Amino acid sequence: MANIAGALCSDERWKRASELHVLHEEQKFSPLEASGINKLFLNGLPRGAITEINGRRSSGRTSVCLHILAQATARGEVCAIIDLCDSFHPVSAAAAGVRLDRLIWVRCHGNAEHAIRSADLLLHAGGFGVVLLDLCEANPRVLNRIPLSYWYRFRRAVEHTPAILLLCAESPQAKSCSSHQLQLKRNAFHWSGKPPFLVLRGLQVQALLRKARLVCPESLFIRTAA
Amino acid sequence: MYACIHSAVPLFRQSLLELARGFSPEVEQADASTVVFSIDPLRKLIGSPYQIASEICRYGHERKMQASLAIASNPDAAILLARNCIGVTLVTPGEEQLKLAPLPLTALFTHDIPVDGALLEVLHRWGLKTCEDLAALSERGVAERLGQAGVYLRTLARGAIHRPLRVAAPVTNYEERLELEHPLQLLEPLLFLLGRVLSELCGRLRSQSRAARMVAARFELEEKKEYSFELEFAVPLEESRTMLKLLQLHLERHPPEGPILAFTLRMEAVEPRRVQAGIFLPPTPPADKLQVTLERIAGMVGKENAGTPRLLNTHRPDAFEMTTLPLTDAVQSDMQPQVAGPGMLRLVMRLFRPALHARVHVVEYAPKDVLASGVRGNVVRSAGPWKTSGEWWAATAWSREEWDVALDDGALYRIYQESKSREWYVYGVYD
Repeated sequence: MANIAGALCSDERWKRASELHVLHEEQKFSPLEASGINKLFLNGLPRGAITEINGRRSSGRTSVCLHILAQATARGEVCAIIDLCDSFHPVSAAAAGVRLDRLIWVRCHGNAEHAIRSADLLLHAGGFGVVLLDLCEANPRVLNRIPLSYWYRFRRAVEHTPAILLLCAESPQAKSCSSHQLQLKRNAFHWSGKPPFLVLRGLQVQALLRKARLVCPESLFIRTAA
Repeated sequence: MYACIHSAVPLFRQSLLELARGFSPEVEQADASTVVFSIDPLRKLIGSPYQIASEICRYGHERKMQASLAIASNPDAAILLARNCIGVTLVTPGEEQLKLAPLPLTALFTHDIPVDGALLEVLHRWGLKTCEDLAALSERGVAERLGQAGVYLRTLARGAIHRPLRVAAPVTNYEERLELEHPLQLLEPLLFLLGRVLSELCGRLRSQSRAARMVAARFELEEKKEYSFELEFAVPLEESRTMLKLLQLHLERHPPEGPILAFTLRMEAVEPRRVQAGIFLPPTPPADKLQVTLERIAGMVGKENAGTPRLLNTHRPDAFEMTTLPLTDAVQSDMQPQVAGPGMLRLVMRLFRPALHARVHVVEYAPKDVLASGVRGNVVRSAGPWKTSGEWWAATAWSREEWDVALDDGALYRIYQESKSREWYVYGVYD
């Protein structure tokens, strides 16, 4: 015993079991190129985690989500969008750069149960780059009925996979299960021309990343498609 | 060495193939009355070509066949001799030209050759009658005057064309029928039987290095009713388990109307999907798993609500169709966003489906307040109107005036007024 204790003290190669650190797998990130957002997500979007994007109508939440989808599909990843209220506009998405031929769109016509079950099936099928669960425009009562256990299940499903589960809703849904939460708030609309001959040019929003070490708001400008 | 059996009697044509298959599994059927096969593997088993010829003759005699047999060092010489010489002709290697010499030139043209028949007239005009005459010509001279076809004919007349046998692959039937002793009503025992049949059919597919693009199922029900459907796969499948799952999902959604007495499964075989995975390529969902997942989702939300959107070539608002995900084998290098730059955020629209009927108060030709289900406010700023119309010749015709309006609730909407009905609708919200 004395010899072992002596060896432990003298030889640095030997360590006590209590000193052993649990090896964590290095988290991977999906690169995100967009002026403003990349300052918030310094390394990119974390893979194998849930990221929430929240905001009210015209806060740019859909634009940010489709921008993430556009970059993922441009890299060749297959993505999915689960559209609870059937409000996805493929023409806008294509104009924003989303490759529709690498996108699966599930229209749920307001049925939250179908949306949650579809997300569950797609996440467990594996192989997707980004799965966007769009809960915007849904009745808050319906969303409140979704059990918290589902978000834990989704977190477990995406863990250790290269997939990103994006949650887009007016208010936070996944609570502690999400790794990042991006809160968007509209600042102003930009118009060109003089009344009554106005043309919409873009939208100025304020983005605030919660659940991050450094919380500082960032201003984003979202242009209209030419 | 190759043996060729030829029978001009139509009665023995079917027996010819059986006779040849009795000696070799690889048989070339030159035409309905001629078969060729290699006798080299028989040498250890039977002996010399003489002994093999006598064995073939004995088999033919037992079946009372009237046929001629030729054995030569190449298939074409054997075919020519069997067709034109009665009885048994045995050619030792190197003597093909000598044996073929007396044959008329017309014999070469009855052979299955890739040469124009008009060439025979040219050769006759040159005074050539037999294979010997053609073989005696110099190769260079023939090539200069008749080209590649002439050289081929000369080589054939010399009995010097060496080629492998053109063995026809046996046609595999990917169809199986199962009659049941008792009518089946429950899905579970039916799936057990379907699984057995699918497993057998997939075994046949694998043995031929093929995959199934489609499975057609036909169920014979009580009271002489029938129920059939076809399942088409986005990518060819080889696994019976995946096919069984897809069949199960379909049968759960569309069950047969009555008890099942018998069923038939048929597969359409195609080349399997070959994917070269790359280290630097992003992962994609496994094709078979994705099909099952999409089928499950389609079972919930409906087939028309799950798929890949494809924009239609029209200016009609919200014109798209749902298709199946095209699982390309490799990621193209040109996969870059076409419209938006990589770092540029684009303002997109979120639609209300169907468009919300609205009450809009108009002052001086511009909307001043909007009231619809879930949308209410005074117009702070507006841009428009933009008139759009099209497809006046079809039922999908549209004509409307669109406005972008910012309401005092802070949101920005796209509203429009139908030109015919003068009704207002909220089309979507910029988000």
